[in-house]
Amino acid sequence: MITPALAVFVAFFLLPLARLAITSAAGPSGFKIYLLSLTNPRYFATLLNTVILSIVVTLATLMISGFSGVFLTRNNFLGKSFIVSMLTFPLAFPGVVVGFMIILLVGRQGLIGDITKSLTGQKVVLAYSLVGLFLGYLYFSIPRVIITIMAAAEKLDPSLEEAARSLGASPFLVIKDVLIPALVPGLISSGAICFATSMGAFGTAFTLATDIDVLPIVIYTEFTLLANISTAAALSIVLGLITWIALSVARAAAGNTVAAAG
Amino acid sequence: MMKKKSKFFYYQLFFTLLVCAFLIVPVIQSVMAGLTTNYIAGLKSGFTLQWFLKVWDLYRDTIFRSILIGLACLGCTLILGIPAAYTMVKKQNRFTRLFEELLVTPLAVPGLATALALIISYGGITNFRRSWLFILVGHVIFTLPFMVRSVIAVMSSINLNQFEEGAASLGAGFWNRFFHIAIPNAMPGILAGSLMVFTLSIGEFNLTWMLHTPMTKTLPVGLADSYASMRLEIGSAYTIVFFLMIIPLLVAMQWVAKPPKKKVIPEKNESLKNQSKDSEMEKIISSPSNEKSEEGRHSISGASLCLENCAKTFADGTQALIPFSLTVNSGETVVILGPSGCGKTTMLRIIAGLESPDPPGKVFFGDEDVTDIPIEKRNVGMVFQSYALFPNMNVADNIAYGLKVHGICGSDREKRVYEMFEMMKITDLRNRRIDQLSGGQKQRVALARAIAVRPRLLLMDEPLTALDAKLRDALRVEIDSLLRSLGITAIYVTHDQAEAMALGDRIVVMEIAKVAQIGTPREIYFKPQNRFVADFIGTINCIKCQAKEGQLIFPAGRIPLKNAPHVHAQENKEVEIFFRPEHADVVETGQGHFKTCVAASFFMGDHTRLLLDWTGTEYLTIEAKGNQSFKKGQVVEIRIDPTALLTLKV
Repeated sequence: MITPALAVFVAFFLLPLARLAITSAAGPSGFKIYLLSLTNPRYFATLLNTVILSIVVTLATLMISGFSGVFLTRNNFLGKSFIVSMLTFPLAFPGVVVGFMIILLVGRQGLIGDITKSLTGQKVVLAYSLVGLFLGYLYFSIPRVIITIMAAAEKLDPSLEEAARSLGASPFLVIKDVLIPALVPGLISSGAICFATSMGAFGTAFTLATDIDVLPIVIYTEFTLLANISTAAALSIVLGLITWIALSVARAAAGNTVAAAG
Repeated sequence: MMKKKSKFFYYQLFFTLLVCAFLIVPVIQSVMAGLTTNYIAGLKSGFTLQWFLKVWDLYRDTIFRSILIGLACLGCTLILGIPAAYTMVKKQNRFTRLFEELLVTPLAVPGLATALALIISYGGITNFRRSWLFILVGHVIFTLPFMVRSVIAVMSSINLNQFEEGAASLGAGFWNRFFHIAIPNAMPGILAGSLMVFTLSIGEFNLTWMLHTPMTKTLPVGLADSYASMRLEIGSAYTIVFFLMIIPLLVAMQWVAKPPKKKVIPEKNESLKNQSKDSEMEKIISSPSNEKSEEGRHSISGASLCLENCAKTFADGTQALIPFSLTVNSGETVVILGPSGCGKTTMLRIIAGLESPDPPGKVFFGDEDVTDIPIEKRNVGMVFQSYALFPNMNVADNIAYGLKVHGICGSDREKRVYEMFEMMKITDLRNRRIDQLSGGQKQRVALARAIAVRPRLLLMDEPLTALDAKLRDALRVEIDSLLRSLGITAIYVTHDQAEAMALGDRIVVMEIAKVAQIGTPREIYFKPQNRFVADFIGTINCIKCQAKEGQLIFPAGRIPLKNAPHVHAQENKEVEIFFRPEHADVVETGQGHFKTCVAASFFMGDHTRLLLDWTGTEYLTIEAKGNQSFKKGQVVEIRIDPTALLTLKV
């Protein structure tokens, strides 16, 4: 009964990917295309840009979501469920919508721009720079990571913490020795997903990036505008490999939970 | 739980609200922009719906196309994903695990790369490339992992195998089990997966942007277009439309994800109720055999069972059972008794048809060779330790299920179900859901379900183990009278010797992977064939002694051999003799065989259990009758009934 799924999967995913790999080497330079792409200063800078941006976004998301996620699971107060539903509402936004949200917030006619203009006379516009992209990816990732962390924190056995406290541990020690170790698998897996989606995020960058070079945009331009098919194929394989490696490493480190969410 | 709110609490709250604002303020902005005449002028410019009309004019085809693709994608993932997930849960082997791994790769490969790969491979087929099916293919590949994983998660958490075995024992074939047991019980996963797939498909942009043509724009593609057109108002109105589409989906997702409230159903007064209804119970239980004796007995009383040289070796080489043979007469109750891991459940599963014996082992029901017949064709009734009641059906439907599978319908079925309600005294529970039953009630329903199909054999796998002691005793009495009155052939597996003694016409005592002894409860208890059986059933004492000149000599005393017919000892050889605690008693000075010290005493009400110091490191256990009390260290004189002394094979 697995056969139909397998057939569709092979026909429309595995074989095309193989074809992609072959295409990448079909250009005049053959497999050297990979070397050429990576040593090309522009592509290399783009790759580095994308990786660094994704790492920074991942770390920021983990810190923000970890802090708020744990806070929300451990405290009960009026309006909590409202806050939780607000925090998770953007979960289903595609990248383009996230880009638009960032434009509304920090774009040319954005809220922050208006506020800063009336305060200092200087209009702050961040949307179309690397900062805008950073905010966009953050916007994209926070809801997903917060959900994972809240689920992990909820599963925490409260008696562990009570045991630690009964043994005289201070709140700080409880967090360091009980809470964080218990959350580590969740943090690693959601961090890896966050990194992978940031690497490949195309919609947000497409809406915002007028002059930022990130890998997905470069691949898109190479393919559609320059018809440079083998370079595009090679770069997308490099991109795929990086995200795949990140997810695999996280999976090895955190057990079989990675890629359970998108 | 609730503590006084500290300063730290408010810092955290402030931070969380800040994050919330970051996420929600632009959403509010877009809603306002879409509803006001002029975004720059703000609310003062007035409220309008003109932008929505514009969106409807310009982009309505994208909305319909997105919904179409979303639904088609959902259909495809359901058809492809559910059978795949089912197979992966049921058959865990290298192949299915590899596929599970493979299936998540689309999550790791960026949409852009997948889209490029699809265009390079299939872009040449112009008609395909130009239709929305091209986008659909991308969406199916991207969303299939979510469906499969969601279904797998639920299927592997509900112990599907147990339910399916339950259904198979009632005669349900593969497709019946798949559609009536597997799918309904995986419903939460299927529902969650469906919502996820539909939502993802509606919002998918990375793949879609590469795969679309001017004729096949979807909602997110249209959104990108509208943002690029630099009319914030139209973009905002269009975004609101998107929000309106996903909000119900998100709400539904949260509703589905909410874990059902677990209710603990107390076993309230169940045993008391039983006692008060005792006479009534007697009447009802005896009714099938007395009043409608001819008909009832004839249709139920089971077949005889014969196992010939059945052995079981598992795929990993473990020998679960060494070859054994067993014959069970029609109407007999045989209890398979043994410690955990001894292979007793494997034996039952061979009889049931859930496992097959290694060749050339054979299983016969009456004269029929059923070795190669699957469980659903064997017509056995099976009661599982964990009940295996189908959670997707209520009590009445559970009982009726086997009848339905057997093609018994209409008033016949109702009558039979009603008979079961009466017999098991569960008429009040007939419309309850399974999670509204207590453990004892569940076991009654499970019994009723198994008996309703009038099986040739009733198989019970530790049916009382999950219940508390008092209830266990009450149900044991009930099962006993049920088995007697129905005259059904029954095989009962347990690790509890008291249960085995009470229920079994004969007992099969299992030692690791082999049959140690088959006999009536009395034979097993009084004439155990080896030390394992003696030790496993009840308590037995062992003392080392010398046989010399017709006497058994041990450090503290002697017993004449001629009085001990079951002791086989060679002259001048060391021999180990055994006796049960009740075969020794404290006697007055001069009448006993030896004297020793009391190490501990436990008053049990009708007798006192004494632990006696034997060698300083070994102790004897005896039961002192009468109401004498003992002190630690007190010297007592003991007499052993010599006719009860045994020698046993190792």
